[in-house]
Amino acid sequence: MADILEFFGKMGFMNLSWQQGLMLIISFFLLYLAIKKQYEPLLLLPIAFGMLLTNLPGADMYHSELWTAFLDESSPYYHSYGAIMSHGGLLDILYIGVKAGVYPCLIFMGVGAMTDFGPLIANPKSLLLGAAAQLGIFLTFLAANAMGFTEAEAGSIGIIGGADGPTSIFLTSKLAPQLLGPIAIAAYSYMALVPVIQPPIMRALTTKKERAIKMSQLRPVSKTEKIIFPIAITTIVALILPDAAPLIGCLMLGNLAKECGVVDRLSKTMQNELMNIVVIFLGLTVGATATAASFLNIRTLMILAMGIVAFGCGTAGGILLAKLMNLFSKEKINPLIGSAGVSAVPMAARVSQQVGQEENPSNFLLMHAMGPNVAGVIGSAVAAGILLTMLG
Amino acid sequence: MILLTINWPHVWMVTGVGFCMVICLLVVLIFILKLLGAVISNAFNKAPKASEPKAAAPAAAPQATAAVSSADDDLAAIAMALHLYFNSVHDVEPTEIHIKRVERSGWTSKLYGMNNLHR
Repeated sequence: MADILEFFGKMGFMNLSWQQGLMLIISFFLLYLAIKKQYEPLLLLPIAFGMLLTNLPGADMYHSELWTAFLDESSPYYHSYGAIMSHGGLLDILYIGVKAGVYPCLIFMGVGAMTDFGPLIANPKSLLLGAAAQLGIFLTFLAANAMGFTEAEAGSIGIIGGADGPTSIFLTSKLAPQLLGPIAIAAYSYMALVPVIQPPIMRALTTKKERAIKMSQLRPVSKTEKIIFPIAITTIVALILPDAAPLIGCLMLGNLAKECGVVDRLSKTMQNELMNIVVIFLGLTVGATATAASFLNIRTLMILAMGIVAFGCGTAGGILLAKLMNLFSKEKINPLIGSAGVSAVPMAARVSQQVGQEENPSNFLLMHAMGPNVAGVIGSAVAAGILLTMLG
Repeated sequence: MILLTINWPHVWMVTGVGFCMVICLLVVLIFILKLLGAVISNAFNKAPKASEPKAAAPAAAPQATAAVSSADDDLAAIAMALHLYFNSVHDVEPTEIHIKRVERSGWTSKLYGMNNLHR
């Protein structure tokens, strides 16, 4: 009888707190969004499942206290991966990849192998739009400071405005690992909501005439340019900003593998197998950090609120700079492509195309918007490097 | 009260300097990309001239190339029109179904049997 009682006592149901119950409901809701609504399902599904696993009492797959000790200078386990390996659960061991900043870089490698920088090379001015869209990061950094977050936390919250999941995770794991769960969830949720968030801002900041501007066809880009581009960008950015080297280096390595045409096997592996494996590990472990204690507090709500501000400001920054450029250049730019400067590849570019076609169905902005879109990836990685240098 | 405890000069410095650095770095990249484009296009333009200095047609060829590249939209429109035209021709078909009766004889029945077996 005592054994039976002990068995029942060990059941998760007996040890489930209301906070854990609420977290399980939130994870079910996120799973619903991923499966039924298809909001960034490739990442939201493993994140939500990681959240589910970490909040199951007694499963012991993730131990936040081990990671607290890992960061505590007075603890004997300070920066001890050995302690994590010997005492940790499955998700603790997988989380080492996040902590060491490995997963976001590997994902960037896959992103690079899938990205065509041709539109950006054909129209280098797109880089300016990608830079202006990073305005959201820095304005949100200011706002987060004013709301009582530390500077390192504010930098991590601001990077949500870069609309780039791996960059957000990379920077947050370095500056404010305690906020990793809410920031990753905010970043990926808002990226999925780009078609909802951006169009009202785009319509509010542009006139009908501006939205109907037709842009001239982009020049063809030679293979040589496409091969030299990743090498040149890596060298220059890493020499100016060494902290951005891991992200930019991996992005450009992936792109070089794709463009050079002599390592098709590597390119395909980066695009498919490597990317898929890392996405599973990254999603699960990021979701695992969303424990009831770290997630259910007012700061999470504040992060979610500031994330949407960051997205909005980034969108506005890109559009306003495009309008400003129109004042000085002979060849007019459709300001709608400025909104694509907030990474979120390729959804933001697709939104520019859709809103443009509402005004002029014969207007094809997609390739023009891809320029600022991929420039936004570089811009947000650069912004992350700057924040890491100044706040890390 | 929170606002008073924040190190505002540092926060403003990070915001201002950080954003300006993003802009400056990407402006540098713009110049490099433009330079790269110019160098490569020059290299490609010069290469054929060196190999065949006199044989090339003097003025007509470059003009023709320019005309073609400037009319890319027109070419795309013509191609689309042709595509639609041929598709619509394909769509106009007599809506009659003919069933061809196959006469079987002692000579052919073996053959049909073998084919069916093979499938």
